[in-house]
Amino acid sequence: MKQIILKRLTMLVLVLLGVTLITFFLSHVIPGDPARMMVGQRASEETLQEVRRQLGLDQPVWVQYLTYMKGLFAGDFGNSIRTQQPVVHDLIAFFPATLELAITAFIIAIAIGIPLGVLSAVKKDTGWDHSSRFFSIAGISTPVFWSGLVGILIFYKFLGALPSSGRLDLTIPPPAKITGLYLLDSLITGNWAAFTNSLWHLILPAFTLAFAQLAIVTRQVRSSMLEVLGQEYIRTALANGIHGPVLLLRYALRNALIPTVTVVGLSFGSLLGGAVVTETIFSWPGMGKYVVDSIAFLDFPAMMGFTFVISFGYVVINLLVDLTYYTLDPQIKE
Amino acid sequence: MKRRWSFVLTSLVLACSMLVTACGTPASQPQAQNNSPESPAKTEPAGPKTAADTLFVAINADQGTLDPAVTFDNAAWKITYPAYERLVEYDGESTEVKPGLAKEWKVSEDGLAWTFALEEGHTFADGTPVTADAVKFTFDRTLAIKKGPADVYSVIKEVKVDSPAQVTFVLSKNFPPFLSTLAANYGGIVNPKVKEKEQNGDLGQNFLANNTMGSGPYQLAEWNKGEYLKLTVNPHSSVKPAFQTVYFKIVPDATAQRLQLEQGEIDIAEGIPNEQLKAVKELPNVEVLQKPSLFVDYVYVNSSKGNAALKNPKVRQALSYAIDYDALTESVQEGFATQMRGPIPKGLWGHDESAHQYKRDVEKAKALLAEAGVSNLTLDLLYSDNKPWWETEALTLQAFFADIGVKLNLKKIAYATSREMIDAGEFDLALGVWSPDFGDPYMFMNYWFDSVNFGLAGNRAFYKNDKVDELVRKAASVNDKAEREKLYKEAQTITIDEAPYLYLYQKDFLLPVSKNVKGFVYNPMLEGIYNLAEMSK
Repeated sequence: MKQIILKRLTMLVLVLLGVTLITFFLSHVIPGDPARMMVGQRASEETLQEVRRQLGLDQPVWVQYLTYMKGLFAGDFGNSIRTQQPVVHDLIAFFPATLELAITAFIIAIAIGIPLGVLSAVKKDTGWDHSSRFFSIAGISTPVFWSGLVGILIFYKFLGALPSSGRLDLTIPPPAKITGLYLLDSLITGNWAAFTNSLWHLILPAFTLAFAQLAIVTRQVRSSMLEVLGQEYIRTALANGIHGPVLLLRYALRNALIPTVTVVGLSFGSLLGGAVVTETIFSWPGMGKYVVDSIAFLDFPAMMGFTFVISFGYVVINLLVDLTYYTLDPQIKE
Repeated sequence: MKRRWSFVLTSLVLACSMLVTACGTPASQPQAQNNSPESPAKTEPAGPKTAADTLFVAINADQGTLDPAVTFDNAAWKITYPAYERLVEYDGESTEVKPGLAKEWKVSEDGLAWTFALEEGHTFADGTPVTADAVKFTFDRTLAIKKGPADVYSVIKEVKVDSPAQVTFVLSKNFPPFLSTLAANYGGIVNPKVKEKEQNGDLGQNFLANNTMGSGPYQLAEWNKGEYLKLTVNPHSSVKPAFQTVYFKIVPDATAQRLQLEQGEIDIAEGIPNEQLKAVKELPNVEVLQKPSLFVDYVYVNSSKGNAALKNPKVRQALSYAIDYDALTESVQEGFATQMRGPIPKGLWGHDESAHQYKRDVEKAKALLAEAGVSNLTLDLLYSDNKPWWETEALTLQAFFADIGVKLNLKKIAYATSREMIDAGEFDLALGVWSPDFGDPYMFMNYWFDSVNFGLAGNRAFYKNDKVDELVRKAASVNDKAEREKLYKEAQTITIDEAPYLYLYQKDFLLPVSKNVKGFVYNPMLEGIYNLAEMSK
């Protein structure tokens, strides 16, 4: 086990190195000059050159890359061109919001998706199955910008039950920053006003985001369950008098989960990187919105930082997925 | 059978959810709009939900740096402008200036020395009084940082402190618009104590990127990235505003902004596109302010580096005559715009109401092309996704030009790339926008037509006319306003006739504001900036 983790961590370094290399050169091949974006269109050539010099853009690309990597090894992501802040500060400010939304959506997707998938498989071709399959088809085929707006219309405008934007009401001060996850921080500090308020704000965006993921989970669980339920060891178990929840959960679901974990793991990665639309509709101050603004400004240190964090997340999730295999199925060896 | 049943269920649920959206967005659904007067229950004013001493403004995107010596982004100015004071300020709705930190000023005969006497009683938010040293510090700092704003002040040779209450700017050449540049955002006087916040010799750039240190009536109290910026009053300011707190709430989605305005959760919504504004106007609790702006939308006609035919003024005139300007503003801006009359927009001094204005005349346009000996002309039109209306504008122009036998190829390019191409002159025609940084016709005439400004800097038509060069340069070197106006008028006559640009329209400034909000004054030089200290509700 330890060896596997160690091996994976070495891989991690290589993957990240490759990612920085590709992102850096891609973002520098794009025509366009961040210095121009910064000084305004009307600036004189001297001012432009001076700002290019200040940003290090006058150097050859490979020198810029080496400088960047040198900083990176020291834990310095450089300064954002648009916000003039260290990129690390910006990532720390924006990442927790994205993470909180992704985790909540993920939990919702699993908590609803797995039981729904099992139900679908067990009650195959009944009304239950059809309803749950309809639900998941709807989830996968409804674009987020649409389901999000419908949610806002119903729950914010017509029912007035849920807020439509942000992480907290403006009048409620955010909880003391520990993890940056408002739910967790307010729970730790016992700040109930902030806890309930942020939970309230989280419901609509999290469900919107979960809706699409839910479909993936349900479909995956259903098909693997169907496959597993048809296998001989299940018949043997049945013959031995094992039935009901014990059979389903301990014998069937456990095996059905292995392919599910892969799908779910990857979908979590995409939750982290791909929540841009949800973040925009719900004014959710996450990384997706930040990186889109940065790309428009050709703010490559910010783009690099974002890509780095997301690829790091993906690699770690993949590692966790693999580790979960071992727990689920002791037969899987290296 | 079961399959059919699930299909019916699917269609039913889909139909239901579509109905819900249809009812919810009357703007996009004409039939729903007609229904709304019959169902008054739905359109009842939501009533003020927000406290009387707090203003909520929804903005589209988070801010970049807030340092007045660095930022060139108008969006950031709405935060910084009320947090700093300048030597002179724009006066109400006009593009002229009035005393600010300086109670009076005089300029030497040769225009090289500007002396300002400071008014007493102005204090930074930490209690430090504003002195001549702070003024010197501010401009020295801006020039040392050498970013965009330094370029505007490159004419400053030295700032001299004559006494704690008097300061003199020594210029390297006569620059009549100088006074006007002092009223712009980068003229904001910074507390010299920012030196204490310096890191690695950055002159406090890192600190001022997300803090304010000025003497304006407000200061930035809190900035929750991606969520909101909160301004509170400067306790040491002599101005006592009605709004104790102002929130700039970041709401990127236009529909979300509209709903929140409707529900009274916000007082001002900046990000609602024109096509939705007609519906917003119908809301009982909202008013849509409409004023002419100095923001112009025009076409660069590459007069020396593009298609050879464009070197001939007759061809450029023909293009100008091909356009139906009223139809264009109607289709592209929903009529919320006014056709330009030459380069200087209405509302800025120097605008010539008697100047020639092109009108659609297909026969004349064809005749001009024939005179120029041009037939089967094909031109490329460069534009980007920078402005959402450019797509429609490009298509509309394509149709107009087709009427006079000119084929227009639409080339839509990524924004940053399109800027590089414009700078290098790699286009025939290109869509563009322009708004002045300071209230002087210099911003249009010298930038657009002086041949030293070829490229993005301003002369994006790569237009060169020795007479025009001479006129605009002279106008930029004399201090007599009447004389300058005369010179600019003469230059305008030539540049309208030779048509290196297609002068399309100046946009209207439109702002949906809750009816409770009082006292907002729109100044065309301060678009998107609020006179917060004079507003109330």
